[in-house]
Parts: sequence; C-alpha cells; structure tokens
Amino acid sequence: MSEAQTEKKDLGQAILKEIIPPPEEEAHKKSFWKSISIPALAILTGLLIGALMIAATSSTVWAAFGESIWRGFGTAFKEIGTAYQALFTGALGDPVRIVRALGSGDAKEIRSALNPFLESLVQSTPYIFTGLAVAVGFRSGLFNIGVEGQLFIGAAAATYVGYSITGLPAFIHMPLALLAGALGGAFWAFIPGYLKAKTGGHEVINTIMMNWIAFRLTEWLLSGPMSRPGSGGMPLSPLIQKSAEIPQFFQAPIRFHLGFIIALAVAWLIHWLLFKTTWGLNLRTVGTNPRAAKYAGLSTTKSIITAMLISGALAGTAGAVQILAVNRSMALGLSSGYGFDSIALALIGNNTPLGVILASLLFGTLRNGATRMMVVSAIPIDIVDVIQAIILMFVAAPAIIRAIYHLKKPKKEETTIFVSGWGGK
Amino acid sequence: MNKRVITLLSLLIVVGMLLAACGTTATEAPAAKIKVCQITDTGGIDDKSFNATAWKGIEDAITQLGIEGKYLESKEVADYEKNLNAFVEEKCDLIVTVGFLIGDATKATAEANPDIKFSIVDYAYDPAVPNIVGQVFNTDEAAFLAGYLAAGVTKTGKVGTFGGLPIPTVTIFMDGFAKGVAKYNEVKGTNVEVLGWDPANPDSGLFSMSFDDQQKGRELAVSLMDEGADIIMPVAGPVGLGAAAAIKERGNAYLIGVDSDWFLTSPEYADITLTSVMKLMDATTMQVIKSVIDGTFQGGVSVGTLANNGVALAPLHNLESLASAELLAEIEQLKADIIAGTLSVK
Amino acid sequence: MAPILELRGITKQFPGVLANDHIDLALHKGEILALLGENGAGKSTLMNILYGLYQPDEGEILINGETVKINSPTDAINQGIGMVHQHFMLIPVFTVTENVMLGDESVKAGGFLDRPKAAQRIQEISSSYKLEVNPNDYVRDLPVGVQQRVEIIKLLYRNAEILIFDEPTAVLTPQEADELFNIMRSLVAQGKSIIFITHKLREVLAIANRVVVIRRGKVVGETTPEAADKNSLAAMMVGREVNLVVKKKETTPGDVVCSIQDLVVADKFGNVVVDDISLDIRAGEILGVAGVQGNGQTELVEAITGLTKIASGKITLLGQDISKATPRQITELGSAHVPEDRQADGLVLPFPVAENLVLCSYHLPPFSKGVILQYDTILKNAEKLIQDFDIRTPSPLTSVGSLSGGNQQKVIIARELSRPIQFLVASQPTRGLDVGSIEYIHKRIEQKREEGCAVLLVSPELDEIMELSDRIAVMYRGKISAVVPNKGISKKYIGLLMAGVVPEEPMQVSEETEIEATL
Repeated sequence: MSEAQTEKKDLGQAILKEIIPPPEEEAHKKSFWKSISIPALAILTGLLIGALMIAATSSTVWAAFGESIWRGFGTAFKEIGTAYQALFTGALGDPVRIVRALGSGDAKEIRSALNPFLESLVQSTPYIFTGLAVAVGFRSGLFNIGVEGQLFIGAAAATYVGYSITGLPAFIHMPLALLAGALGGAFWAFIPGYLKAKTGGHEVINTIMMNWIAFRLTEWLLSGPMSRPGSGGMPLSPLIQKSAEIPQFFQAPIRFHLGFIIALAVAWLIHWLLFKTTWGLNLRTVGTNPRAAKYAGLSTTKSIITAMLISGALAGTAGAVQILAVNRSMALGLSSGYGFDSIALALIGNNTPLGVILASLLFGTLRNGATRMMVVSAIPIDIVDVIQAIILMFVAAPAIIRAIYHLKKPKKEETTIFVSGWGGK
Repeated sequence: MNKRVITLLSLLIVVGMLLAACGTTATEAPAAKIKVCQITDTGGIDDKSFNATAWKGIEDAITQLGIEGKYLESKEVADYEKNLNAFVEEKCDLIVTVGFLIGDATKATAEANPDIKFSIVDYAYDPAVPNIVGQVFNTDEAAFLAGYLAAGVTKTGKVGTFGGLPIPTVTIFMDGFAKGVAKYNEVKGTNVEVLGWDPANPDSGLFSMSFDDQQKGRELAVSLMDEGADIIMPVAGPVGLGAAAAIKERGNAYLIGVDSDWFLTSPEYADITLTSVMKLMDATTMQVIKSVIDGTFQGGVSVGTLANNGVALAPLHNLESLASAELLAEIEQLKADIIAGTLSVK
Repeated sequence: MAPILELRGITKQFPGVLANDHIDLALHKGEILALLGENGAGKSTLMNILYGLYQPDEGEILINGETVKINSPTDAINQGIGMVHQHFMLIPVFTVTENVMLGDESVKAGGFLDRPKAAQRIQEISSSYKLEVNPNDYVRDLPVGVQQRVEIIKLLYRNAEILIFDEPTAVLTPQEADELFNIMRSLVAQGKSIIFITHKLREVLAIANRVVVIRRGKVVGETTPEAADKNSLAAMMVGREVNLVVKKKETTPGDVVCSIQDLVVADKFGNVVVDDISLDIRAGEILGVAGVQGNGQTELVEAITGLTKIASGKITLLGQDISKATPRQITELGSAHVPEDRQADGLVLPFPVAENLVLCSYHLPPFSKGVILQYDTILKNAEKLIQDFDIRTPSPLTSVGSLSGGNQQKVIIARELSRPIQFLVASQPTRGLDVGSIEYIHKRIEQKREEGCAVLLVSPELDEIMELSDRIAVMYRGKISAVVPNKGISKKYIGLLMAGVVPEEPMQVSEETEIEATL
C-alpha cells in the first residue's frame, strides 16, 4: 500500500524533479546580488519584452512608422513610456501627487493618492496564501494542483458562517468564519491526501478532479441553498454579517485590510513550522526522500495527510480572506485563477515563505498597476499576464537569462533552498 | 555581443523609456468631452453578449456624439470595486457596469460618489439609487414574436430552446418564446411543441449551466435535434455558438440568435440564422449617454421594449423565403398589438 | 616522439575546492596509463576537462604535440578522444548498430539510414579488436559486459585514438573484468592509447603500463606495476601507510543481543525471499552474512530493521520482540543500521550534513525541545562528528549530496555509530568506496565490536566478510546454508557455499591462508 507506493517512481515525483531544480550546493556564502540577480534580470527582461509588445500592438506606433522611422521610434518610446509610467504609478502611487495631497490635508485626496500602493498589497494577499499552500505541498513532495478548488470550498464555508450566524461579536464571528474557511479547504485537500496516503491514488489527478467537484458544488450551493434571496437563482450568496467582516483600515477607496497582515503572520508561521520544528523536518524529509524518511522511522502516510491538510487550510484561508475582507459575498467569479498562478509563484519564490511573499508582491503589484495602465493607454490587461509568463519562464530556466546577459554559470546549480532553513544562523 | 554591450543597451532602453515617460506628463482630456467608462463582468469585453453590446453603444456614441470612451475588464469579483475606483479616480462622467453580479459594487461606489453618474445593464435597484439608471429589458416581447415565427416555420412541429443558467434574464427569453408558440397554436389550432422550456414548470428547463462551455452547447443542440426540434434558440451567450456549429453540421435545422443580430455578428452561421431576439443594450446605453449630455439624466429604471426599440426581432435576411408573407404580416400585427398594449406577453 | 596526449599545468578551481592543481600528465601511444586516486581526488574533474565538459582555469592540452582547445564532447570526439562512462549511454530498445550509429549516422542518398554499411563496420571493428558482439542484437538483451563492449565500439566507430575508461570494472563480474582487460590489451596492441581511471589496486597492477597517482588535485607520484605493490600504491593514494588488513583483537562473545527465529519474509509478489532463517548475534561479535547479491540478504536486513513486514517467525532484540516494531522503535531500542543504498535510504541528499547527522534522532532531546528543533545543538553535534569521523565537508551546512561517496558514507557511519548502540546492522558498508574510506570504516566497525556491540555485517564482497567476521553465515536462495566460525576456513569453501554447493569436507583449509584485501 503506502509502502509500495513510496518505492515506485511515480508521476508526481517525476514532475517535481523536473520543475524543482535539485538543490546541490548550499548557498550561505552567496552574495545578496547573486541571489537576486536572476529574478531581477528576469523581471527586467520581462518588462523589456512587454515593452516591445506594447509598441508592436499599438496602431498609433504603426501609423507613426508609416510616416518615418524616427517618428515611429519616437512614438513607440512615448507609448511605452506612458504605459509603464501608468503601470508604476498605478501600482505604487504617484510621488508628486502623494506629496501634494499630504500638503493639501484633504483626507479623501490623501487616501486616493496613497491607494495604489495599498491596493497592490490587497492584490497580493490571496497570492501569498495560495503560494504558501503550493509551497508547503512541494516541500512535502506533493503537487497540490487542487488549491483553486480548496480556495472555493474555503470561501463557501467562510461565506456560510459569515452570513448565516447572527448576533456574535466581531472578535468571535470573524475568526470563526476564517477558521471555517481554513477547515473547508483542509477538508477538501484531506480527501486526495487520504487517497494518496492509503491507496497511492495520485494527488495530481485527484486534486484536479476535486477542483471540478468544488466548482460545480459551489455553483450549486450559490444558486441553491446559499443563494441570495431575490437573486432569482443567479449564483450569488447573501452579504456576510458586519461582524464577520475582516476590517479594512481606511475609508474608500482604500481596501487595505487586516488579511494582508494575517497573510504575513501565516507566512512566518509556515516558515517556522517548516524550518524550525520537527514537524517541518518530518514533512521535508518525506518530501525529499521518502525512502530515507521510512528508514529514519517516519510515517509517510501521516506526513502526506498532514501536508495536504496544511496546504488545503492555507488555500481555504485564501478564499475566506477574499470573501471576508474584500468581496463580502460569494459569486462564482471569486478567483482569477489564484490556485493555478500560485504554482508558478511558489516556484519563483523557491518554495520558501519569504520567496512566496516577494513573488506575491510582484504579481499583485503588476496586476494592480495594469489597471491604471489600461485606463491610461488602453493596453489590454493581458499584457501583464504575458510579462508574468515571461518572468516565470526566465526564473524557471535561468540558463536563458545567463545566456542573454552572459552571466557565469555557477559551478554547481545553486539554489537558495536551504538558506532560509538556517536563516539567522 | 558581449555582456557589457547588452547591459549598456538595456540601460539605454530603460533610460529612454523613463525620458519618454517624463515627456508625457498627465494625459488630461479636453474638458468639453464627456467621458463614459464601462466595466465588464468576468466575461470580458468581447463576450459576444451584453458586455460587447453595451460597449458597442459607447463606441457608437464615440463616433456619433464625439464622447470619450474607456473600458476595464474584470477578472474576478474583487476587481469590480477596484475598477470602479479606478474610473472614479479617472473622473468619468458616466460609468456603465454590466450584469447582476456587479450590482453590489456599483451601488456602493455610486453611494460613495454621488456626483458621478452610473448605469447598470440588466439590473435594477429597488428602491432606486438617485445616480444609477438600471437598464432592464422586456425581452419576452421580442421572444414572443420569435416563438410565433418559429411555430410558423417549423416542419417537424417541434422547436427547442435552452438557457445558460436558470436566472431571470435568461428565462424571460424562454418564457416569451414558449408563449409565442402557444399563441400560434391557439390561433392556428396547431400543436407545435416547445422542447427545453415550459413556463408552467420551470424546474424541467434545459440549461447548459455555463456561459462559456461551447461543447455543452453543441451537446444540448444535438439532443434537441435528436428529439425532433428543427429550430433552436440557445440563450447562453457564447455557448450558443456551439449549438450553431452543431446545427450547421446537421444542416436540417435553424437557429434563433439572442442579444444581438447573429446574422451580422456571427456571419459564419448566417445561412442557418432564422432570426435573432435582440436585446439592444447598445441603443439603451446610447440613450443614457444622451441623457447625460443633455442634462436629463435621472436615476431609476429604463425598460427596453419593442415600443422604444430596446428589444426587437431581427430581420430574417436571407431566410425570408422560409416564412410566408402572411406569417410575417401576422407578426407585424402582433408587434403593433404589443406596442399598443392590447396584447400582453406575460 | 611527442606523446599522443599531454596535459600541462591543468588547474580547475571550484568554490572552496582546488579540484585540479597544476596537473601534468603525458600519455604515450600504445600504452595503458592508470590514473589512480581516491574518490574526490580530482580524477573525474580532470577527465571531464579532457572530454570538454569543463574548461580548465589554467593550463593547456596538447594532442600529438599541438595545443588544442576542447570546448565540448564533440570537440573531444573530433580530436580522437573517447570516453567509456561508468554508466552506459545506450538506448536499450535500439539495436547495437543503431546505438553505435546514433549521432554519427551514415546515410544513403535521400537521407535514409544506411544500416548495413554501419553494421559491416561494426563487424570489422568487432573482429579486429576481439570485441565480440552481434550488431543486430537489441541492447536491452545484452549482459552488462557486452553493453560495455558496445560503448567501446561506439568510440572506435568514431575513430577514437585515445580511450578513457572511467571505473570500467565497477559494474562487471570478475570474469567480465578479465575479458575487458583482454580487450584493452588488444586495443593497445593495435596502437590505441588508454587512460584507465580506477581506485582498485589489483586492477592497476594487472593491466597498466604506467601508474599516475593523484591526491587532492595534485599528481603525487608516478610508478610502474613492476616497481610497486598494493601497499605502496595505497600509501601513495592515501598519503600515509595503510593497513589493508584490520588487526583484530580477541574478544569473547557475550550474550545474545539479537535473535532471529524461523524468519520468513515474502516480497510484494508473495515470493518467499527469506526462507526460515534462524540466527543469533552476540555482543562483541561480528556475524558476517556472505552470499551473492539477491539471495535474500536485503530482505533479511529490512526485516530486522523494521522496514519490511515479516510473514512469520520472530525477531528478538535485547529481550524485546521486535517482529512487528516500527523502524523508529527498533532504533530507539539501541540499534543502528547502515543501509545498503546510502543515497536512496540513508541520506536526504539536498539536506545539509548537520540535518542528516540527526536524521534518526532529531525528534528527541537534545536536538529538539517539544516540537522546536534546537539548531544550535544540531550544529554543535555536527561539528563534533565532522571532527571525530573525519568527514570532509566545507561546512556542516553543506548539502550532503555535494560530498563524495566516501564522505557521504562517513556521515551515515557517524550518525549511526555515535549513538549509544548495542546492535549494528551494516549492509554493504563500503560499497563503491576507496581504500582510505574502506580502511576507516572497517576500523570503526571493528571498534564497535570491541566495545561489545553485536554486529551483523552483510556484504557480497567475500573479502570484506572474511576480514571482519567472527562467524560467517552463508545465504543462498533465502536460506542460510551454513554458519561457520571464521577460523582457518578457505575462501574457496565459502565461495562454494555461496554458489549453492555444499562441500563434502566442511573445513577445507587450503594453501591460500593469506586473506586478500578487497582491493
């Protein structure tokens, strides 16, 4: 059963080996610049290629090229400049405006000026949770593709607790709803985890299947038992109670909420769990070498189930936070694919909590900036997906970046995978 | 090239971009133009359905009235509020949102920004919000005509329909369609059957449970045709295109389009498109824009009817030969009766 | 005449390691040059430089007196350099011809493969160098020794003049190794030149014309088989005198520590692989289990260490029934296990040395308090063990996967032997290791015996068994065919038992009383 299954080479292990570079050389001597050079250059290259695409897809630029080459280049630079300026100010704020707003003392104007940066944090929040969910799975040797489904179930559970229970004080109701979300996600992940541990049923297949069940189940819940009265069957839940809301700290338009801080705290907790406790070492040992884990007396079964429970709880929390802090009711268009983007994100973040946070901030910032970019220059939001994809590709295949920038290949394939395990030593 | 050259080049490009960026400070539009901004739901701007149609109204206004138009696509629920905020920030004069699901967010933003005007397609607030116009449509009026036409054209005595989700904006099409068929039966003493929808028993309706799964549309169309239907009206946005493909393959059935005139929007299916039940959100959106320009904008509900051209039955185009002149005349009369209020389709 | 290949001042630096330090080396036409060195001495780095996989930081390569630059294996092949890797680069489902052609396909007009022509050349090569092989056989059907011949033919097919053999005998049976040596002799007789990389002294003495010894990245000596013997070569390699035979102290076996009664183990297909075995292992003795690999030794060890369920029978450790115990319970009773496959079972390669050193005990104090790992203690423990067991690692935080095989094994030995144990199960503890490491590990095991630990030593290397054991149990087809005290018995006698033959005279002492080292 589980014994046989740890021994045979299975698909998941093979995939994991493919996508996670084998960590060989410990990196404690590596300089800061070296460790960020690949991601930094990947981002730069992504932006450069994105710039080319902005210019190439702009009819204005083509028209200008029709007049003369120089005019064409001029227009192209202008278009790219406008777009990226919007991306930047949309994501982080316009410094001039912030200074002016602070000077003016107009509260609403100050909020509007500061909103872009805070909104980027809001956008990053679900990425942090789902990225952690995937990273915990990877660390434990599990490829949890079911994060999206677990997010949906978590959101549904949190929504239900959020609207159906009345009369609770906020300090009980909100945590309760959040807990319901975590438990919902954990339960949804437990099923494929249990199947893997006890029968060897592959988690990649089973989590994908569980995704579909989750989508259809929430669809049914939202248009049936959990549907909003008067919605006439439209899949939309009632609004959650005020007492279940995760507080937003400021007035409109700022949506910055406690969930982001919870996300940071949870990331720290996961770091502590993975790298500072025996539980984490158990998980990582089973995840890295199940045979050695067995030799060392660890239970692979227990480890698989634990890892899936943690991963699912994180995914469920992502959905719950999104509902309780931002959406305040549940509809089907709950997620723009956080569960799937997070796979890429965890890889960029090297499956460490800190890396996940940084990658989430990058994704969230890009997505937030893209809105402003589209408002200003009508560049489709999809260009940001392209930039993200390029960055991911370069991070996953550092050889390309090294080739482009003629960086020296490290003697042995370096990764920072253990640095955080020994952080602060 | 060596590393240095590349690095230098990249630097140059970046610096160039920054310079260009500095050169183009704040793109302020001339104050005279009014700015109309649309936020799509998760279907996107080119959903061949209400997002696209509403945007067409804005585009028409851009060419005809010289306004400025912008749109933002939403990828998830959390984007609604963000996009609304972005347009408030952009100082749009009128913000158009699309669909029931944006209802909460639109209301919240409208209440926080009473000086900005809003319009929402396919949704109405009760009680009304002073700075929102809800656009709703008596689609059943046009669908009634389509049903009557279908009943007159069918050779098998069976017509079919299916919906995307069992929600009011969908089932209203199916209701009208079924009642139009019933009217035909009543007038002519025939027994044309409607597959997929029975107004008396909504739970037995046929639904794809999706607005984007074209394969599902194909399957439903095939099963309706297998049961004998030779005219099918899919009320499920792009899912209908799957149905259209299946009908075209069979070659012995016809399609009734919805929302827009599919003869024009999906020319590849022009030769099987009998007609379309048009929900002219572009026209109603245009009306709202006009009201903003001439200062008559007033919050509340705008109902699209046959009377005000908010809904309509599309021409039969190339397939006009399928319907007798007599039938077409009867339909014109029904239309007049509905407009005059002498015939109720409810 | 200039040497066919000459390396001058080759230097290669890796982070923290000077892998090659101004190495000079000359290979003359028609000779077999043995390159001898411990694992991690820099042999492989040097050969990878020669084969174009690494670029040297300094130094030059000359072929027939001319400086050449080798940037890739393709360059190397074009310069007439070919390499037979330890792990074959063959595609099992292709025929010999197809494998040989791969990458250098002869084509007919129109781009079709010209198999007959290639097959004919293979036939020619095969007959002129005594490389018997049928060009139309599928590689998957060939024994390992013949597969190696295919590798050699591949090189000759590409007109290689310089052949590098990287530990070629590691995968061969003794008979196959002898055949390989014949092939090598016939190759040099026809003017090819060979570099033979090894750490097996016996082979060097048997085949090489000249021996160059490398230690810690430097050439430390050059000699000929005539002028050297095993001890002198071993001393050059390790840098000090090496005792190839462990001096055993007399001990009196004490109480039974581990008792196996009527043990039956089945594999996952239900076949009985350990068939009714009973053994007692006493304190202060080493019981060696000899046998050709695959006769149930692996399963026997797994049963004793709790890794496999037993079908029937009983195992008692220190008076406790461990027939159904988990590996952790058995470990905590005071048992240690050096597993057969150190990389697969014994270590988590990407983890740092320090974590691997507490792999079986991190859940216990002092390495953790509650669930919180005490990394200070874990690091201190690592530093101490690295010192005590002479583990060569840049730091306790280096991942174990980047250490050499010998040092990886030392990590396991350190972890297992540093605990207060009363029972040690060592399965092939020196597999694939070099002289220095073997000597070291043997000493450690012997030391445990002297401390009164009961040791079960399982090894297919008869020399190792005979050198260390107090008693020898021979396993054949899942059964113990005999248990004999290791006094005055001949290797031949045990060899016959391993082959399933029960000799008529039980204690046949032959003339070869001297025990040959495992080298």
